Amino acid sequence: MSAPNAPLTDEKAAPRSNPFRSINLSTRFWVALVLVAFVVVLGMAGWVYPTGPGEKVGSLYDPPGNGLLFGTDNFGHDVVSVLMAGTRTSLIIGLVAGIVATTIGVAIGLISGFVGGWLEELLMGVTNVVLAIPSIIVLILISISLPQSTIWSLAIVIGITSWPWTARAVRAQASSVATREHIDVARLSGSRLPSILLRDVLPYILSYTVMAFVLQVSGAILAEAALSMLGLGPSGANSLGTQLHWALAFQAVASGAWWAFLPPTIILTLVSFGFLLLQASLDEVFNPRLRRGKRRQMKQAAARRAADARALAASRSEQDDDAQDPEGAAVPAAGRGIQEGGVA
Amino acid sequence: MSHLDSSQRTLSGSTRRGFLAASGAAGGVLALAACGGKSGGGSGGSDELVGVGNNGMAGKGRSGDAADQLFIAGFQWSPPTNFNTFAGAPAWPASGNVAQYVYETLLRYDIVSGDLKPGLAAKYEVDGTSSITLTLQDGITWHDGTEFTTDDVLYTFELGKIDESLGVASFWVEVDEMTADGSTISIAVNKDRKNVGMVLATLAQQFIVPKAVFEKAAKETGNKLASWETKECMGTGPYTLEKADQTQIILARNEKYWGKDFYGGLPAPTKVIHPIFKSNEDGNLKFQNGELDVMQQFIPQISKMWDSGKPVGTYLQEEPYFVAGSMPMFLINTTKDGLKDPEVRRAMAYAVDYASIAETAMSGYSPDVVASLILPEGAESEWIDKDKAKADGWSYDPKKAEQILTDAGYAKGSDGIYAKDGVKLGPWKLITPQGWTDWNAALEIVAKSFTAVGISAATNFPQQAQVTTSIQNGDFDLACWYVAGANPATPWQRFSDVMSNVELADLGKTAYRNYGRWENDEVNDLLEAAAAAADDDTKKKALTALDDLFRKEVPAFPLMYRPDEFFEFNASNWSNWPTEKNDYAPPMFRGAGNEWIFKIQKIGG
Repeated sequence: MSAPNAPLTDEKAAPRSNPFRSINLSTRFWVALVLVAFVVVLGMAGWVYPTGPGEKVGSLYDPPGNGLLFGTDNFGHDVVSVLMAGTRTSLIIGLVAGIVATTIGVAIGLISGFVGGWLEELLMGVTNVVLAIPSIIVLILISISLPQSTIWSLAIVIGITSWPWTARAVRAQASSVATREHIDVARLSGSRLPSILLRDVLPYILSYTVMAFVLQVSGAILAEAALSMLGLGPSGANSLGTQLHWALAFQAVASGAWWAFLPPTIILTLVSFGFLLLQASLDEVFNPRLRRGKRRQMKQAAARRAADARALAASRSEQDDDAQDPEGAAVPAAGRGIQEGGVA
Repeated sequence: MSHLDSSQRTLSGSTRRGFLAASGAAGGVLALAACGGKSGGGSGGSDELVGVGNNGMAGKGRSGDAADQLFIAGFQWSPPTNFNTFAGAPAWPASGNVAQYVYETLLRYDIVSGDLKPGLAAKYEVDGTSSITLTLQDGITWHDGTEFTTDDVLYTFELGKIDESLGVASFWVEVDEMTADGSTISIAVNKDRKNVGMVLATLAQQFIVPKAVFEKAAKETGNKLASWETKECMGTGPYTLEKADQTQIILARNEKYWGKDFYGGLPAPTKVIHPIFKSNEDGNLKFQNGELDVMQQFIPQISKMWDSGKPVGTYLQEEPYFVAGSMPMFLINTTKDGLKDPEVRRAMAYAVDYASIAETAMSGYSPDVVASLILPEGAESEWIDKDKAKADGWSYDPKKAEQILTDAGYAKGSDGIYAKDGVKLGPWKLITPQGWTDWNAALEIVAKSFTAVGISAATNFPQQAQVTTSIQNGDFDLACWYVAGANPATPWQRFSDVMSNVELADLGKTAYRNYGRWENDEVNDLLEAAAAAADDDTKKKALTALDDLFRKEVPAFPLMYRPDEFFEFNASNWSNWPTEKNDYAPPMFRGAGNEWIFKIQKIGG
């Protein structure tokens, strides 16, 4: 797509006409993907691992060895097996809480941002109040008052306490989208509010929503770990947080049983680091202006554009000053890309 | 070694930071000392030390003032604010039934032999079930030099009548009258209850306080003794309270102690210092490094300490290392559908993996569980009929548990949970306070054991206050809770705690015993007979009858055993600690546990 008055050369020379070259995924996207994939695979591996997380295979804190990679925990269970089950639980809680939080946040943000007026004031007022209360306190209070703590109740509790910032950010975006012309077109064509919100507003902020979701998942996994370490975790289930809780309770640090507390700590770090990295690199995918490929690639692209432009100019056999025009248009664009890439 | 001298000066200073920094330096030196220390058995000759670490090691001893001081921990966790022994939460050593360093009791209980040894009272005589006569020791004085008299004793117990909210008030449930004649005190045991055991238990636990001080306090507070606050505590004991601040409590030796002759001299340490830690880990680390000599904190896998060459020891050389003294009980709310059925309760008792609990949750510190309310080891062992407990009792056998349920007419539903006539076995909640880690872990194992046989159960760990209320009000399904630990009134008191139908509280009302609201027609008579038993044979028969009923009805069952107090020592500076081979004193702090402080020996100079 090009503006009608742009020179023909621009369209032909643009490297973005090649989708594969244009997505230009950065290394950190791949690193993030590998990290997240590793954690997901670890969670899945519990289904094929020979010993179950509730099977007693040794005594209190048996050190690694005897076919046990990370020894046993305080119950005499295989740490690897517990770690796999724990990772799975943490991921499930993260996903469910992420879905709940993002759904609530996007719904409130969309409605208040798009509809505006008193409804916006009301919804944002509520959001701001909720935002002002430290969510960990609300989380602890709700968790204590629950009669029974399961992984599902925990996920939902985490979800319904972590939506406010998503709502605020989505509202800002939605209110900007609301002023665009296509919304008027949709209104004129007789679409009703839900249809406009879902078909004409949401797609424009979908990229942001996906990134918010990734952040919510990582936040929820950490929130679960914090709650479980306090002993408010899901009863009867293993999670990374409950694993740390028992390691603390049975003084794994003091008795030197590193295998009981280091693996869950490392996995937690990997999970949150991986998701944050993924979110940051997704940002680049969705927002071309933030893209930062290798400087060399950008230079190559600029050079290519210049060369294409020159070749085109030469083939047209036009005068020198005419040939400068397309080149002059292409180079600054590429130059801006390099600059931004370098700064970001 | 100048480090130690300087550290000691700082220790008497007031900042916690200074103390920690200095003790860190001391720890380094001590750790080195421990590595190259004397060996208890190896060096032979006159140099041979007894009562040292379980690995036979001993340290070289501290130098300077610290060489004569005893560092103790595990009794005080917050800054000491009040030394009134009758307050809600008094500071150590004024808190009830702790080591007799400042206050002392009339009689002293020995958890190994079960004997009552003389304390402030030189001897006691029991006349059947009607009366107890005590004769006081000669020449007892209070710390201020005034004479200790029978008036002080009478007044201490009288306080239970003056302020009925005090714990000592329960003494008068079992006692009709207490009178003095010269240095003899006569106690008339309540004629209806005839419970000599409970009276002796109180005599062995109640610190005797100075009448002069507490009379004033009663006047000041309008007889609300529990609300009185004081920074002083004056007793008769071998130590006086010298200093107490946020970081430590320091006791200084009472050079004019009345018991010099009775105990064969003054205590060995010139000072007893209790540093105040925020958590178990802090204390355990200091203990491992020899900066604490003796303590009663829970240490998982204590054997690792002596395996790694530290001169750490316990009373027993082999597992369970500690003498069992209490019995964490699995309480069952017998008013709930399903739990009403004794067969279900029996199946539950068969379903629990006791060995796992002892090995992991209790770190191996529990002997094998026997189906009885009587402790199979130590002080109570003479009362238990072990053969009967084995023949009629339960043990971990999940198949048998399912068999019992099937025989009783229960069938597994599609969800794998047993049910009968629409009454499903679960889901039940297993509660115990958050942070009582060994009990938390034990209940996790119980929940798993139950799920494995087809009883639905999940753990839930609220705060302690909430658990206490729930259990007392009968607002629970299943719980792990404490009952009487070994004392002169047990095992009778434990049977009463678990089974008594006396003053059975309704649901929602506060109960002080039989929290499971188990109802039975025979039990009160059996309890009465056991309490009033005049001789040992009758008593054993009566207790066995109670134990039989317990095994038949399973109103609750023990999950594991625990020491009454953990007794752990580090022979870095002191030797001659009480051990099984060197058993001149029981491994305890309270009661007869005051004896070792007179006998421990300084290792270095």
